[in-house]
Amino acid sequence: MKCKICGRRTESELCKLHEEARRNLLKNYEAWKRSMSVSWEEYLREIQRNPFAGVWAKEVAQHLLVSGSANEQEGPAKDTEMNK
Amino acid sequence: MEGKTVLILCEKPTAAQRVAKALDVKGNPQKREIEGIPHYIADRDGKRLVVVAALGHLYTVAPSVKDRNVFPVFGFQWVPRYEVERDAKETQTWIDAVSKLANEAQEYILATDYDVEGATLGYTILRYACGDKEKEAKRMKFSTLTTGELEKSYRELSDHIEFPTVEAGICRHFLDGMYGINLSRAMTVAAKQWSGRYAVLSTGRVQGPTLKFLVSREKRISSFVPTPYWGIRARVEINGSVYEVEYERDVMESRDEAQAVVNECNGKKGKITEIEVRKFLQNPPVPFDLGSLQTEAYSLFRYTPRRTADIAERLYLDALISYPRTSSQKLPPIIGYRAILESLSREPKYGRLAPELLRRRDLVPREGKKQDPAHPSIYPTGNLPERSLSEPERRLWDLVVRRFMAVFGEPAVKQGVKASITVNGHRFFIRGRQTLKEGWIVFYRPFMRAEEIVLPPLKEGREIEFKEVLREDKFTKPPPRYNPSSLLRKMEDEGIGTKATRAGIIDTLYNRGYVSGERAVVSELGLDVIDILNRYCPEVISVEFTRELEESMERIQSGNEKRENVLSKAVTRLTPVLEELKKHEDTVGQDLSEAVRKARMQQRIVGDCPVCGTGKLMILFSRRTGKRFIGCTSFFKGICKASYPLPQKGSVKPAERSCRTCGSPMIRFKMQGKRPWTFCINPSCPSKEGRR
Repeated sequence: MKCKICGRRTESELCKLHEEARRNLLKNYEAWKRSMSVSWEEYLREIQRNPFAGVWAKEVAQHLLVSGSANEQEGPAKDTEMNK
Repeated sequence: MEGKTVLILCEKPTAAQRVAKALDVKGNPQKREIEGIPHYIADRDGKRLVVVAALGHLYTVAPSVKDRNVFPVFGFQWVPRYEVERDAKETQTWIDAVSKLANEAQEYILATDYDVEGATLGYTILRYACGDKEKEAKRMKFSTLTTGELEKSYRELSDHIEFPTVEAGICRHFLDGMYGINLSRAMTVAAKQWSGRYAVLSTGRVQGPTLKFLVSREKRISSFVPTPYWGIRARVEINGSVYEVEYERDVMESRDEAQAVVNECNGKKGKITEIEVRKFLQNPPVPFDLGSLQTEAYSLFRYTPRRTADIAERLYLDALISYPRTSSQKLPPIIGYRAILESLSREPKYGRLAPELLRRRDLVPREGKKQDPAHPSIYPTGNLPERSLSEPERRLWDLVVRRFMAVFGEPAVKQGVKASITVNGHRFFIRGRQTLKEGWIVFYRPFMRAEEIVLPPLKEGREIEFKEVLREDKFTKPPPRYNPSSLLRKMEDEGIGTKATRAGIIDTLYNRGYVSGERAVVSELGLDVIDILNRYCPEVISVEFTRELEESMERIQSGNEKRENVLSKAVTRLTPVLEELKKHEDTVGQDLSEAVRKARMQQRIVGDCPVCGTGKLMILFSRRTGKRFIGCTSFFKGICKASYPLPQKGSVKPAERSCRTCGSPMIRFKMQGKRPWTFCINPSCPSKEGRR
């Protein structure tokens, strides 16, 4: 199987590098939500524009927006649970 | 001239010239040549001294199996460099000349640099070019190329060369060959078997762990997700001048909280509630070892560690500074502090500073902890330049001279002031810092960066007007990237590589395309190479393992370990690693080939497509005509048809910058024998109007 973002060989949807970025995105959403009151989709768009966000984090944000996982109900809630 | 002929072997031609001049009784040796190879004839104590230089290493370690597709190879031997290196043809004439001179000599003296590399290269030449003369050769030891020190070192010759150091040097060369050649062959062969294409892939005993540091940092930076926080920026006015003040909390997690501080403090008057005044001493810096010189030169002049080492080497060969490849931070009195300072005072720019130190009864340097048994720290010899120095040479010499003087200086006395200002229940701090007595700073002033903030007289209870209180929207930042200097420091801290090899290893990472840019960015290829090595042979990129080998070599140098034992252990550990790589050759080959393919594709990307905004512009070749052009990667998805023409001859590479006029990407074009030309890819760019 290939990473949906970079094409690296992987056993899941994303390679290890993008998976780590995705985990960071999920982990930090709470802090954004608390301090900026942003929705998941707004958060992903903010990350895409942010100059300090890493390139893989931006790619994952773009991927989530395009693939429809930007919906708050489907996106972080489910993944955060998985993460736990 | 009668009497014995003595062959003196130096490391570099400039050093040979200096040694000959210093040792010739009249200070005027004759220069001669054999097939264009210079050597010098000097006369001293009735002996005929023939001083000849090597050209760095004339011999190198090569595997017994030359076929590059075969591994593992554990048989290595010393061979002349011209036999195995394409760009070392001149070493053949050099070896022939040294052999000829050695045949005519009755005594031999090694006068190469007094360190592991100097001893090793001298040993190989004495053994192979001079015909087993390594055991009878004597040794000149010196840390500067000044006449006085060279004469002294000739008078006090060591009876033999430093064999334990040579053993450690041989071991290092064999280990580097064993690891570098086997692992690089394993990777290259795997990639070639899979893709049928040859690509240079390399790793090594120190290169691998160094790349691993970079990859680990790259992963943290690239997957970094910032979080927002807020801060307060405020200014107050005191006696008509405006000063920055700090809010008591650096980080606030909510915008509303920060805004509340702004609303409650902006335009208000606060009161000074507390003033703390602290006097402290700032000690002089310690003398330079190579690592700290490289760090300082990078921070002040942005010279890479390699560049600093090269400039320092030139200054050493000009007898302006002592031997730079040292890890010592000590300045022993034997170097003659006063004589050096007296000589330096002849230079107008030190004419006022050096006498200031000379007036003291005692000169005691502040020294660092690091020691080097072979050399003291880097110091100026006191000689003044005999030729006009280039700007970088002049800067580095000035840095070494000023640091030398500064270490004898008195501690600087500084004062820090911190006043607390309370407004509406919020606390702000105003800070001042000031030098009360310069001490050593007088000598080092051009290289000091600390800013002074002098505050007006303050008193508790005084009212302070807040001119401006602003909310600052901030984000947490990723860790900084390594630069060549901080990477070198990291290697030093981790104890991998040596002072002589670290800068070169960093260069290799850049040359292999694993890393690019001043702020080291790891390429996809670098990431993949470490990923593959981590999966199949984590030991070869393990810092602990590399450090362990370094320690073994130090033990050899101090006579507490045998070279054979270390090499045999290395074979035992490397064999299963190579077997594992061979077992997974297909997978490794596939992964590496894919990484190389991606790296090659990446090298063809010119920039973002200005037409569709989503694709990348890339150098492509037409399937129909074979002609090259620039096209958008989104073309293959049927989204974008942007294309730009390219010249069909010469080489074309992305210039990695955008046109200042139209913002389109630029490319660098080069025809053989002509100057490279960088131009914008957009044929309708207004900057080209005059040329149409």
